Parts: sequence; structure tokens; C-alpha cells
Amino acid sequence: MSATRHFQCTICGQCCYGLLPLTCKDAFANAARFPLGFVWTALRQGSKDYAMTATLGTTLTLAHRKELAVMITPTAYLPKSFPCPALGDDNRCSIHLNKPSRCRTMPFYPYRDERYQAELLKPRLGWACDTSTAAPVVFKDHQIVLRDDFDQERQALLEQAPVLRRYADYMFKYSPWLVGALTQASSQTKTRSVVTSLSSFLTATRNADAGRLARLQLPVLNDYATRTGGDAQLAEFHQNYRNWFQEMTYLSQRLDASPTCADASVRSD
Amino acid sequence: MMTLCPCGSIHDYEVCCGPIIAGTPAPTVEALVRSRYTAFVKCALDHVERTHAPEVRDDFNRADAERVTQQYEWRGLEIRRVTETGDTAKVEFVVRFRREQQELSTISVSGFRRDHGQWLYVNTESSQIAPQRVTKIGRNDPCSCGSGKKAKKCCGVALEVK
Repeated sequence: MSATRHFQCTICGQCCYGLLPLTCKDAFANAARFPLGFVWTALRQGSKDYAMTATLGTTLTLAHRKELAVMITPTAYLPKSFPCPALGDDNRCSIHLNKPSRCRTMPFYPYRDERYQAELLKPRLGWACDTSTAAPVVFKDHQIVLRDDFDQERQALLEQAPVLRRYADYMFKYSPWLVGALTQASSQTKTRSVVTSLSSFLTATRNADAGRLARLQLPVLNDYATRTGGDAQLAEFHQNYRNWFQEMTYLSQRLDASPTCADASVRSD
Repeated sequence: MMTLCPCGSIHDYEVCCGPIIAGTPAPTVEALVRSRYTAFVKCALDHVERTHAPEVRDDFNRADAERVTQQYEWRGLEIRRVTETGDTAKVEFVVRFRREQQELSTISVSGFRRDHGQWLYVNTESSQIAPQRVTKIGRNDPCSCGSGKKAKKCCGVALEVK
């Protein structure tokens, strides 16, 4: 592996499919666009991303003095086969100027330590990234060359860590099944994840904006529930969209911050 | 007309969980646990929220609970053990339900406290969800009612949920 790495995006659009991890801020700013869920991934001690995951997420103590590092990520919850709703027909981002931090930083990934970033430049199967010497140098001497986006996303992740930790404490307290599910997920060779609802996050963090966010989520969840219906491979996504639609229906009616919108928000289904 | 209380007490709903859900303080901690279960069956979650201790009331994810009341088919409650120490209590109980074509049960141990004569939910010490063992009774097996007759000649063959 050479110390100097090249990279140029060729606008193939292939990285704009499937789950998209977001910062809390980006998730809520895009509540009218993405179906939002929380994805939990657990790492065992000894994994090279353990320290960074523990810093940005939380740790979970298990029996026999074992510990897991757990990352909790607000996520645009899309099946692998589904493009980002902001991906245009020309493979360009239709919200380029306001796109989430995650998309700006691609292909770098501040959830991992900087010294491991070179590995992320290798295009995944089907991706058409240009990593030839003709492309600009993006990584040199174990450091990212143009680092503003990376630093900003890392900073946002560090700042939101206390909120995610509060959420994790709440979930471990009230949803003990999650501990079992994460333990199981971490023992698989292929990293698996567990998904939890926006409603649980809003409750745990006492979010005063819950009603408004719920009203933004309703049409999005309804749309994705419709689009994933009847496909056995997407059954889990479909069920989650439906469940969350029910939860958001309740929240949209109960926590009403602006009375003027109250009549418009009442739905019958 | 009498309606059997969903909590499984074999009492009329109107003299069992009904009044407690309507606002009468539960006379015992067991009565409170029963009424909170029945509130899920009856989609009367105001009662569940109201009987959370004040320090955990905002932790109640009502949206999730509302979905659960609509989605689950409730199969029954079994109170396993009640340990009362003055104004605090621990209750071990099993809730059986059907979700996504699966028969499931949760075994929980929850803590309660009596404030000004009102029993309140405080915490869940443990809660485990498990699939229920479903055994099919053969037509010629002894009937599960204990009559000694073959099942086909007695109560019939149905799925028995343990």
C-alpha cells in the first residue's frame, strides 16, 4: 500500500444507495426526505475501530468482564436496492449545496480513526471511483489532504455523543432485548446491526420538537411502506416503516407545538 | 351483562380492572399490575401513563405502546410472585401475546412503590422475551383436560400453548 492515495468521484451514483448514516442534526434537517431510524452496531474488544466507536458511541459491559463498543447512528433507513431520494436522474445530488455531512465527506468516514482512512478509498464492487494516479492526491502520510468536511463531520459526531449515550442508557434500561441482540450481532463474523425507532429516541431525549418531526415523517414512512410492500426480501423494512408510521401518527397528534397546524395534522387512516 | 376481565381473574371487568382503569386507586400492587395489563388490552394507555412513578413518567414511550396495543393480540397474564416490603414491592409476571404470526411471552420482574396510597410502576429489573413452546396434541394422545380419554373423543385436537 503506497503512502499516497488518489481519488476522484466519477458521479456513478453507486454510493447513493441503501442505509445512509447521518448526524443527528442532518437527520432532523431531512426529516421530510428520509425515513429515519437508529442503527446500532456493536464491536468486540480487539477490533481496530473499538476505541473510536467507544468515543463516538457508548460501551456496554457484559458478563465475564467483557465489553462491547456500540455505535448508534441516526440513519436514512433505505434498503440496499433503493437510491437516495435526493439522487437525480443525472446521477447528481439534487441537494448538493445542502447535502448531509456524511455525503460531503465520502469516501472518508470519520467514524474510524484517521490512520485507517486509506482503506476506505478502495472502490466497492460496482463503484466507478477513479483511484488512478491521474486522480488528485487525497491521502498522504497517513493524513487526509483536504480535511474540512472530515473534520466537520467528526466534530459533529463528538458533539452529539452525549445525547446518543443518554439514548443508549435509556434503551438498555427499558429494552433489555437490545443488549441480547447486540451481543449476538457482535459475535457474527459479518457485522450485523439492530434498528430502533425514532419515537424511542425522541422520548429518551425529551425532544420538544417531536410533534413537528413526526408530521414530517408521516408521508415519508407511508411512501416507503407502500414501495416495499409485497417484497419478501424487504419484509423487515416494510414492517419497520409500518410500525414507525403508527408511532409517528400518535406523536403527530399528541405533541402539538403549534396549535394553528393542529387541524391540518389530524389524519385518518 | 358480565364481561370477564382480560386480566384472567375470572371476575367481571366492571368489578375487577374496570374501576382501577377509570381512576380508583388499585387496592393492592397485584391489582395494579393486572389493571396495567388490562389497559393494554383495552387500549386505555392513559392509565398506564398515570401509574408510572413521576420520575419515570416521561420515559414512557406512549407512541410505541399505542402501536403495541393495536398490533399485538393479548393472550393472558400470569402473576408469578408478589413480594411486598412496606411501601415497595416486586412483582414477577408473564405476559403472553401474539405478534407477527408468532406466539410469544415475556417474563418480567418489575418494581413498584406506594405513594400516598397509590401503587406506581417504578422500574423493570429484568424482562425476557421468548417464543412459547407450542405442542401439537395427537388425535390419539390422552386428552389434556386429564379425563384419560383420547383427545379426539374428548376436548378435541387443538394447539396447546404452554
